[in-house]
Amino acid sequence: MADPYLRVEGLVKRFGPFTALGGVDLEVFPGEVHCLLGDNGAGKSTLIKTLAGVHEPTDGKIYIEGKPVEFRSPRDASDAGIGTVYQDLAINQLLSVTRNFFMGRELKGPLGTLRMDEMNMIAHDEMLKIGIDFSDPTQAVGTMSGGQRQTLAIARAIYFGAKVLILDEPTSALGQKQQMGVLKTIKKVRARGDIAIIFITHNEIHSRLVGDRFTFLALGQTIGAGTNAEIGDEEMRRLMSGGAEMGDLEQELAAI
Amino acid sequence: MANTNEAGRLKQETAIEKIIRRPEIGSFVVMLVIIVALAIASEGKSFNALGLKNNVAIIAQYGIIATGAAVLMIAGEFDLSIGSMIGFAGMAMSMMLKWGLPFGMGEATPVTAFAVTLAMTLALGWLIGTVVVRSGLSSFIVTLAFLFLLRGVTEVSFRLINKSTQISGLPDYKEESWFANLLGGDVFGWFYDLWFMLGGNLNRRGEQWVEGFDARFLWWLVIAGIAYFVLSRTQIGNWIYATGDNKEAARANGVPVNRVKIGLFMFTAFCATMFAACQVFDTNTSDAAKGNLMELFAIAIAVVGGTLMTGGFGSVIGVVFGAITVGLVANAVFFIPAIDGAWFRVFLGGILLAAVFANERIRKRITGGI
Ligand SMILES: Nc1ncnc2c1ncn2[C@@H]1O[C@H](COP(=O)(O)OP(=O)(O)O)[C@@H](O)[C@H]1O
Ligand SMILES: [Mg+2]
Repeated sequence: MADPYLRVEGLVKRFGPFTALGGVDLEVFPGEVHCLLGDNGAGKSTLIKTLAGVHEPTDGKIYIEGKPVEFRSPRDASDAGIGTVYQDLAINQLLSVTRNFFMGRELKGPLGTLRMDEMNMIAHDEMLKIGIDFSDPTQAVGTMSGGQRQTLAIARAIYFGAKVLILDEPTSALGQKQQMGVLKTIKKVRARGDIAIIFITHNEIHSRLVGDRFTFLALGQTIGAGTNAEIGDEEMRRLMSGGAEMGDLEQELAAI
Repeated sequence: MANTNEAGRLKQETAIEKIIRRPEIGSFVVMLVIIVALAIASEGKSFNALGLKNNVAIIAQYGIIATGAAVLMIAGEFDLSIGSMIGFAGMAMSMMLKWGLPFGMGEATPVTAFAVTLAMTLALGWLIGTVVVRSGLSSFIVTLAFLFLLRGVTEVSFRLINKSTQISGLPDYKEESWFANLLGGDVFGWFYDLWFMLGGNLNRRGEQWVEGFDARFLWWLVIAGIAYFVLSRTQIGNWIYATGDNKEAARANGVPVNRVKIGLFMFTAFCATMFAACQVFDTNTSDAAKGNLMELFAIAIAVVGGTLMTGGFGSVIGVVFGAITVGLVANAVFFIPAIDGAWFRVFLGGILLAAVFANERIRKRITGGI
């Protein structure tokens, strides 16, 4: 089996007295979709923000291709090939698709002027590659649907060299049809074979549909991990609900 | 493929729809109406040789500070200290010219007085910006504090050093200094020469009447031109829009949001300094009350020009139209003596309100009503 592109060992993140992550392990492989599952407040967003260089870990190690790394800023992380698509997508509604696509990494000509035509073309082509033929990249992002915005954010991360693509609940705010669109996009990226995807979701069905490997978080701890084949439906449901036995829950509910 | 069809849901716009969607369209129409109305009501006087010069003078004044205010507003911040900064810069420059440079550095020339003043105002702009981004407080309140602070410091300094809050009767530096002439002299003389050659621009004795526009016209064009270029064609422009639209998103993509904001507070300070410098070298006077209320005119013109109060959207061209509109109406009373000057404020309040509603509609149209 190939080596993991990204490996996380005993990652701890405290906010003052509060332990948001209490020693989490994670391995992600190129060409695989790694689903990160867990209840609200489990620490999923904190984990990926640490991977993305937004938070500095309190303790623990991050390895890229076996080498230990330290991220001091989001720029460090993105230079190391970690591309993050946040829940809020980090998108500016009033700006055009192209301006969003290249935000912070604009192509400049002499005199620092923007190479707008070239940027328009690249934005269009890159989005086409993963499934959207967006004919006019000069239009404001505000006119796009939620699914299209996801695609923009994903295409942007890949174009700028993401080897690990982190998707924080990309389907949670979307309607059924657009959710399927995003899952298709994920599959397309997976099919390239060179990109590792961390897919955060609440949705059991979605994770079954596209996931190769699962990690379950609860209260900042890893409470279970395994491949799609290893984890059965019962087990999945147990881990999704934070490790409590379904039976226990039924009893608790019955007691009310 | 479901996603391919998604693209079809975005309506293709016609050329006309694109023009109507531009942020400057409203201010352009209002400007046209005002120009025509004023020409008729003043029986052409507002656009004769002298009328044009005087109108352009006030328009350029407004335009200079409104450009600064608008670009800052696009980045999501306000600066209420612009007016006091004008007073401060004018005081600093004129006092140096009269009493010499600080710390016994000797006599001031127009160049050194301007340079030392600009260094101070840029430092103040930096300070204001730094306080805003570091504290996370609303720029409204921080710059309100500086509105009082700077005006107070201006008056106190005047009284301490000059014994009076006015300076008049400075030598006419324009005569000697090319630099003072560049700020306070005439520009575009060829325009009025040409007008004279074509048989117009005559005074009662039949000589050439007006020699040129005030130099601030040139400075306004330079400042607005640079602001337009930077906003629409450069990386920094993209960062300014991104900072004002969604700061966190911009930051997550590596845009140095704080540096952008601090730089723009320095830009508004620069605009205020240019406003003051043109005034000082034009009239050879200064006064502690100069620039009073100018911060509010600057913001009002920015909004009339289509700039969104919430940031992320606006255009320098719209602000040019806004400055022309507001400047013409402010001056209208001189050409139409029958009207009460206070109507200017009624008008400004009215179009400001209309502009806010129009801008909100444009924002909704662009973002698909979100
Ligand atoms: N910046 C922060 N400061 C303090 N506490 C935080 C911060 N970010 C997250 N937390 C806390 O950490 C816990 C995990 O949050 P989060 O990672 O957002 O969970 P998830 O994404 O799994 O729903 C929550 O209890 C949250 O309140
Ligand atoms: Mg979350």
